[in-house]
Amino acid sequence: MAEPEAQLLLAVGLIEKDTNGDALWVWCYPSVTAELRSLLLRKCCLTDENKLLHTFVFGQYKRSWFYITTVEVQDSPALKKVTHFSIVLMAKDFNPEKYAAFTRILCRIYLKHGSPVKMMESYIAVLTKGICQSEENGSFLSKDFDARKAYLAGSIKDIVSQFGMETVILYTALMLKKRIVVYHPRIEAIQEFTRTLPALVWHRQDWSILHSYVHLNEEEVEALKACTGYIAGFTDSEVNSRPDLYDVYVNLADSEITISPVVKEAMTMGKLHKEIGQLIVQSAEDPDKSDSQVIKDISLKTKEILATLASLTEVSDGNEKPTLNSEALKQKRFPPATENFLFHLAAAEQMLKI
Amino acid sequence: MEEVDKILIHSLRQAGTPVPPEAQSVRDFSPELVVEAAVRCLRAIRPALGAPLSPLLPPGISARFRLASDLAAACQELGFGGDVGYQTFLYSSEHDTRRLLLFLVEKLPRDESERGAEPPGKSGVLLRAIGTRIREQLGIPWVPPACRTPQLQRLQVNFGGGPDPPQLWGANSQLGGLFLGEGGPVGLTPPPPAIWGDIYGSVLGIPMGLTPPFLPPPPQEYVGRKRLRARLRALEPLRQVCPPRPQGPPPGPLDSTWLQEAFGTGGAGGALPKGSRFTRTQHLTHEQVGWGGCWGAGGCFGRAGGGAGGLERGVCRVFWGALMVGTRPPPQVEAEVRQGRLALGAREDALRLKARAVELLPDAQNNMAKLQLVVEASSRRIVSLVGQWERHRGPLLAEYRHLRALRDSAQLESSRRLSEIRALHERSRSAADEARRKEELYKQLVAELEALPRDISRAVYTQRILEIVGNIRKQKEEISKILVDTRALQKEINSLVGKLERTFSVTDELLFKDAKRDEVVRKAYKYLAALHENCAQLIQTIEDTGTIQREIRDLEEQIEGETSAKPPASLDRILSDCRALREENALLAAQARHT
Repeated sequence: MAEPEAQLLLAVGLIEKDTNGDALWVWCYPSVTAELRSLLLRKCCLTDENKLLHTFVFGQYKRSWFYITTVEVQDSPALKKVTHFSIVLMAKDFNPEKYAAFTRILCRIYLKHGSPVKMMESYIAVLTKGICQSEENGSFLSKDFDARKAYLAGSIKDIVSQFGMETVILYTALMLKKRIVVYHPRIEAIQEFTRTLPALVWHRQDWSILHSYVHLNEEEVEALKACTGYIAGFTDSEVNSRPDLYDVYVNLADSEITISPVVKEAMTMGKLHKEIGQLIVQSAEDPDKSDSQVIKDISLKTKEILATLASLTEVSDGNEKPTLNSEALKQKRFPPATENFLFHLAAAEQMLKI
Repeated sequence: MEEVDKILIHSLRQAGTPVPPEAQSVRDFSPELVVEAAVRCLRAIRPALGAPLSPLLPPGISARFRLASDLAAACQELGFGGDVGYQTFLYSSEHDTRRLLLFLVEKLPRDESERGAEPPGKSGVLLRAIGTRIREQLGIPWVPPACRTPQLQRLQVNFGGGPDPPQLWGANSQLGGLFLGEGGPVGLTPPPPAIWGDIYGSVLGIPMGLTPPFLPPPPQEYVGRKRLRARLRALEPLRQVCPPRPQGPPPGPLDSTWLQEAFGTGGAGGALPKGSRFTRTQHLTHEQVGWGGCWGAGGCFGRAGGGAGGLERGVCRVFWGALMVGTRPPPQVEAEVRQGRLALGAREDALRLKARAVELLPDAQNNMAKLQLVVEASSRRIVSLVGQWERHRGPLLAEYRHLRALRDSAQLESSRRLSEIRALHERSRSAADEARRKEELYKQLVAELEALPRDISRAVYTQRILEIVGNIRKQKEEISKILVDTRALQKEINSLVGKLERTFSVTDELLFKDAKRDEVVRKAYKYLAALHENCAQLIQTIEDTGTIQREIRDLEEQIEGETSAKPPASLDRILSDCRALREENALLAAQARHT
């Protein structure tokens, strides 16, 4: 465990929907700002008019992750006026499995006792010791849920089987730190898909670009626009008419990838990309390889490309980072698409001369 | 009846029959008019039927007769239910004529627009489009070809020849032709090159001087000019945003290398996205800070992750150098400062924590145990605080929910009451309307009742009707009585006839047996036979008399009917026509005999 739990868990909250049809924020610890409260009310499905219940959703807002588990209340003597409730957990790290398990335990405790006091005990236990007793005579241990496992939990093979060679578009976009928007009417599908995408650029191991559940709400869009490159998941099809929000638009429902004309020039693909695409597809289609092996293969190829780029850089006076030597790049006489890609990659990795 | 006739005459006039104005009703129609009206209606209803019939009644009797019978057959084909024949047209009564004409007018096609085969939509639209274009062209005054702009070139036909792809080229050929004094079709001889250069330059608005002869065809140069113009256009947005640079920084690197890089690598199209993104970022920040737009560009390119990279950085550096120093610090830099301060604060906290940890490090085990106890104690305190808060929160939440439920039910109740009240309102309003209407109706009827003539009272009519009904009933009874009597009589007659025959045959036999021997008996037998025959004759005569009397009665009834239906005038006409027909027949027969 890299960081103690106390620094990762930020807050826990409780939203209830009662027999009057109101969804209310009834309890939280230590505190949740009003802005976050309205955001989380929007994210949990209790305010929706349609009765779809999403058991577990997660997303990111301004560098903190939220995880929401929703449960329907049936015949609970402790909760008489409540029809549904959601437990919200705010944390700093990306680990859906861990927090899903944790919130499930908290849900069960709340369902049984009807009071947040018991929930609080478990929460404090996890916060201080990293372990808590669950209802079914088991226990929840934080250290069972490693961050790396969370990163590797998604299935890259599914992505490749859905998009085939077009996966290389996603790879390029991620390498060049572009803005990817994914649309699907079901949030669970988006979450499955987007959580695996950052694995394509494993060398960065940066899941903070993932915003898996975004609504077309002003504050959220503003917060999104403040990030340079991101992967954003929307369940609202209106996002297609917001070309200012994306460089690459993925319609997951129809399995279509559209590149915005603004970045078409930066993302032109050539022989190098074809190679990468073929590598990805071959690796994924191999039934003997597991997902993590596929990711390893892709990362090896990425290392190659970065090595090529590194060979073209030099450490010039005054900058600590090596910067790209454009003449060297030109001398190599790469095909134009490859040269373009390397140039933009250098820009993304901040290796360009200022 | 008059209204019906007026409508009829109006419809016939619409169908094309020239009804004279003095004909106010069907009674005034002459047979010629009737025939013409019928034929025109037939032609309107079914052209196939009406075409062979002429609307004018011929003078000859037989022709008239033929036309009338054809017309009658056509009317029957259309489905006229009543009795129609040649007499309806030539010797018609008002009633029959009216019936026939009404039938024909009803059959006339209603919708005039149905006659149009296809909708006027498509062709009408095309016609209208043509009309507007012509109007447009007519609206612009004619301009001599030399002075036409490319737009006018399109509108006013280029009589020099077909549409040339570069329209300037076409205009120039016109110009050249005019300069050389050729008014007519041009493009035959190219004018001297020097003039071309001037013409081209003046049209393009680019000062050129005398250009070398370009017979290598002008389109190449044209393309070159176009490219230059595109470059200028691409630089426009940049020029607009940033003030004209003072001559300090070297113009060289910006213009040539940047242009080359921008336009050389990607072609003319490549520069525009960069330029546009640059302008886009300009626009983003331009609204907030007017003068600081370029500063913002400088700041926000970093925000864009160096997307356009070195190019924009180079440009911005130059602009930075060009702008004046001493403007107020823009929000972008403020934001960066704030972020830096936050990071600094976080680092300070981490530093403090690590310092404390280092302090406690020497006595690690004990301190760890103490810390654990402290943590546990504080967690217990937190839990107890949560419990205390829960004791407050629970009831408050329950009360809130309870009140919400009450409010909802109250709202429901009130909305229900509201709708009930509204329904009641509606009902009362409709009842008031109803009452008012009935009031008016009552007043109207009372007025009408007053207005009715008082001389003939309703009672008289009802009395008469009841009398007539009683009479009819009595007559029915009498008729049935008579029928019963008749039947009884008939039965008696039959039985008597039967008895008579039997008696006769018995007597006949008896006498015949004795007739061979006795003379007297023979005589008696002869008398018997004669008697029987005479009686039979008598009976026959009586029966005949009865039959004839019945026939007389029928004929008398027919005569009465005929005389009432047909006025005596038509009878005269028929007789005169019959006479004329006979004369014609005689003539024709004589002619046939001669030839």
